[in-house]
Amino acid sequence: DSFGHKKSSDNETEDAVSLFKSSVLLRMGSVLAASSPNPPPPAPGTAAAPGLTVPPGFGMPPVSPVIPPTGATSGQQQEAENPLPNPGAFDECHRKCKEVFPMQMEGVRMVVNKGISNHFQVNHTVLLSTSGDSSYRFGSTYVGSKQTGPAEFFPVMVGDMDNSGSLNAQIIHQISSRIRSKLAFQTQQHKFVNWQGDAEFRGEDFTATITFGNPDVLVGSGIVVTHYLQSITPALALGGELVYHRRPGEEGSVMSLVGRYTGSNYIATLTLGSAGAHASYYHKANDQLQLGVEFEASSRMQDTSVSFGYQLDVPKANLQFKGSVDSNWIVGATLEKKLLPLPLSLVLCSFLNHRKNKFQCGFGVTIG
Amino acid sequence: MFPSLSSRHRTLAKMSGANGKKGPSSGVMDWISSACRFATDRNDFRRNLLVNLGLFAAGVWVARNLSDFDLMSPQPVT
Repeated sequence: DSFGHKKSSDNETEDAVSLFKSSVLLRMGSVLAASSPNPPPPAPGTAAAPGLTVPPGFGMPPVSPVIPPTGATSGQQQEAENPLPNPGAFDECHRKCKEVFPMQMEGVRMVVNKGISNHFQVNHTVLLSTSGDSSYRFGSTYVGSKQTGPAEFFPVMVGDMDNSGSLNAQIIHQISSRIRSKLAFQTQQHKFVNWQGDAEFRGEDFTATITFGNPDVLVGSGIVVTHYLQSITPALALGGELVYHRRPGEEGSVMSLVGRYTGSNYIATLTLGSAGAHASYYHKANDQLQLGVEFEASSRMQDTSVSFGYQLDVPKANLQFKGSVDSNWIVGATLEKKLLPLPLSLVLCSFLNHRKNKFQCGFGVTIG
Repeated sequence: MFPSLSSRHRTLAKMSGANGKKGPSSGVMDWISSACRFATDRNDFRRNLLVNLGLFAAGVWVARNLSDFDLMSPQPVT
């Protein structure tokens, strides 16, 4: 990510944290997203889990925050006493704004999704690249039969493997009505690169998460990440993140604070930490147009950047267009069109770096 | 050892004051020069921070005020 580059030893904690985050928490999402570049719109009442894309009919179930009331009156009393909504997950604070920006894609990509049953789906991805290696990925998704709410099914298992044997896998299971757990693994060929487990507790007006990253009892190393997000008012949520990193002979911690304000048609989020600052503003102008503005500053890299992006939806034309421009003189756009009634989607992507005189374009087809 | 000052140099030295004080116009010019150097120095972190904060504020203003057009509205009949 923008904060993730290795440097001198006195910033090793932040380096390890950034490296872990970019390699696991984001790469899992980007890799899985790459295997299915056209995530289906979530079914009503469902929401995509962070970083995961699922095939049609496999809506990623959110954790239901409300305990089913024992009686109508007790439910009304509970509602009156506790009007603050659950603020959602910490990782999703900036997500709405990030989703507006186009995803960079290079080369030619073909994805075939095949549903085997109501619970199981497989997908095949072929990527032909001009700059890197071409690859083939096989992915599968399983959704269990334990229903915890309308269109909420657990456990969910998503995995994919490429032609070199590198595996990415996630298992998500809802242990109780308020607790959801996740296990994630990533290998490079036969070697385990990342492994993590996390548990999320959703209260009435708060969310708490603890994540253990790459724990190694024998060596005595690992990363622990804790998140807490609290609704202060129906519009304002405040929270924090604490990362503790340990390896032989060295340990450290990094803390950051987050604040999110949700308006009628906008969301403003600010994250402040020792590594830098991250501000995002998401604005929904109307059903067709959404805009996002992002500001990032890194105190270690001594660098700042601003990005402006927009998303245009034209449902009558089955078209979605995303564009972005940033302070590094990079202009990018993505065009996605569904070719109904065929089960086909086309994606065109183009990115121009004016400062470095570099151009990158991509083309993708999704079947099924 | 030191070359003798010409009459013109002596006049300029008098204008700048006997103890080296600069006039108000020179101070303003210096401030403007340093402000221009700050504004155009791409390697300065503080400068980049201020410029990008301004761009972020401008982006938020554009998003809030210039996005109220409806693509699906019917075209006006001429």
